[in-house]
Amino acid sequence: MSRHQQHPHKYRSRSEAVFRELTFSHVAPPLLHGCKIILAAVAVAVLCALGLGAQGAKPASGTNHTVVIKQMHFDPSQQTVQAGETVEWKNEDIFSHTVTADDGSFDSGLIDPGHSWQRTFKSAQTLAYHCRPHPNMRATLMVQGATEQGGQTKTTGTDAGSTATLKWSPPRRPQEFHPILVNFTAALLPLSLLSDILGRIFRRQSFHHAAWWMVMYAALITPLTAAAGWWWRLTAGSALPAKLITVHQWLGTAAVLLFAALAIWRWCIHKRDTSPGLAYLTFALIAVLALVYQGSLGGRMVFGQ
Amino acid sequence: MKLSRFCFAAVFTSAVLFAAGGVKAYAQAPTDPQIAGIVQTANQIDINQAKLALKKSTNPQVKEFANQMISDHTNLEKSVDDLAKKLGVTPEDSDTSRQLKQQAADESKKLRGLHGKAFDKEYASHEVAYHQAVIDAAKNTLIPNAKNADLKSALEGAAPLLQGHMEHAQQLEQSLSGK
Repeated sequence: MSRHQQHPHKYRSRSEAVFRELTFSHVAPPLLHGCKIILAAVAVAVLCALGLGAQGAKPASGTNHTVVIKQMHFDPSQQTVQAGETVEWKNEDIFSHTVTADDGSFDSGLIDPGHSWQRTFKSAQTLAYHCRPHPNMRATLMVQGATEQGGQTKTTGTDAGSTATLKWSPPRRPQEFHPILVNFTAALLPLSLLSDILGRIFRRQSFHHAAWWMVMYAALITPLTAAAGWWWRLTAGSALPAKLITVHQWLGTAAVLLFAALAIWRWCIHKRDTSPGLAYLTFALIAVLALVYQGSLGGRMVFGQ
Repeated sequence: MKLSRFCFAAVFTSAVLFAAGGVKAYAQAPTDPQIAGIVQTANQIDINQAKLALKKSTNPQVKEFANQMISDHTNLEKSVDDLAKKLGVTPEDSDTSRQLKQQAADESKKLRGLHGKAFDKEYASHEVAYHQAVIDAAKNTLIPNAKNADLKSALEGAAPLLQGHMEHAQQLEQSLSGK
């Protein structure tokens, strides 16, 4: 990567000098060296956590196509079927229940005790559903294998996983826009922090430049992400878990402001032609941690617990 | 010195009073017939409030919720009745059930005086608080004190229903405050 290798001792002392000059001149040098390692480790850990958070839960496969509703539960709560197959929900409880898709794509209406309801699933997708009168009753249906036979092929936010249909259709609904935009925010901000940290460690201005650009892009794209989120909330919000969506919507809105503040700060640092100090990096780390938590809330609503 | 002694006395006295209160509450641990009575009262209260909501509200979400409360609590009431008959338990009144009735009467009076959106909001938020209170009572008082195993497991079985109602009421409350 680097054309001329620097002597480790020389590089270390130069780096420390910059650290002391830019940040806390009273901090002892060995501690600074430790800080670098810790910061780099934290940056890597955060990236790993983000990567893990993006993975959806994959239900175990089952072959039974009847879901029994009893004692306030869908049984089994995770069901896998093939595209084109019919699933029957039998209500063996003493209360009336509904089978309602979280994304609003279907709703059985009230199924009285002793009655059942059927639906055929044509396209591959992962569908989280719940009971409308009892929002604590939640389950997932995985439809596998794309078929082109009739029916509308709906691409939704909930089937962004590996089983989604391969057919391209342009995004039209907030359930599609929000997850797409979220990827940019989720990638740009942690990478910006990582790039700044690497810039400090390797003392390369190009890393800082990259970090500056990335935080700018993040600040520009995140309001769009939040807008798509609000659009989703306002059009199909009642299907989402109330407690989670409330925290998610306000944390998301706060994140827009937080990232804007971060971008302005980073801009000022860039204008002064210096590299960011520990205060900025700490602030950025907090923003990244908030983003990870925000992402996990979003994932929980789409993929279930 | 005098002051600190006074403080100590005050703290000690209140601690003793607290402990005495706890013992009193313990002494009033409900019997199985009383537990059955409390559950039936709690059911009836929620059905009555829902009927009031159906009469007074014009909001379709509120009406849907109220209809669900009537349907679910009627079914729950029936299952508790059946169980009580099977176990030979006759539901009895107790201080707790009388207290519940008194609180419900106060709330109904308050609700009757409200109209439109104010009624809907008060009904929804009271349903949240009410179900939370019933969940807490079931968890802390009714289930631990139930002697009969069938009654105990029936109470435990009702917990997810109450939890579901509470979450539904929270959603309703939220969508009402969002408009």
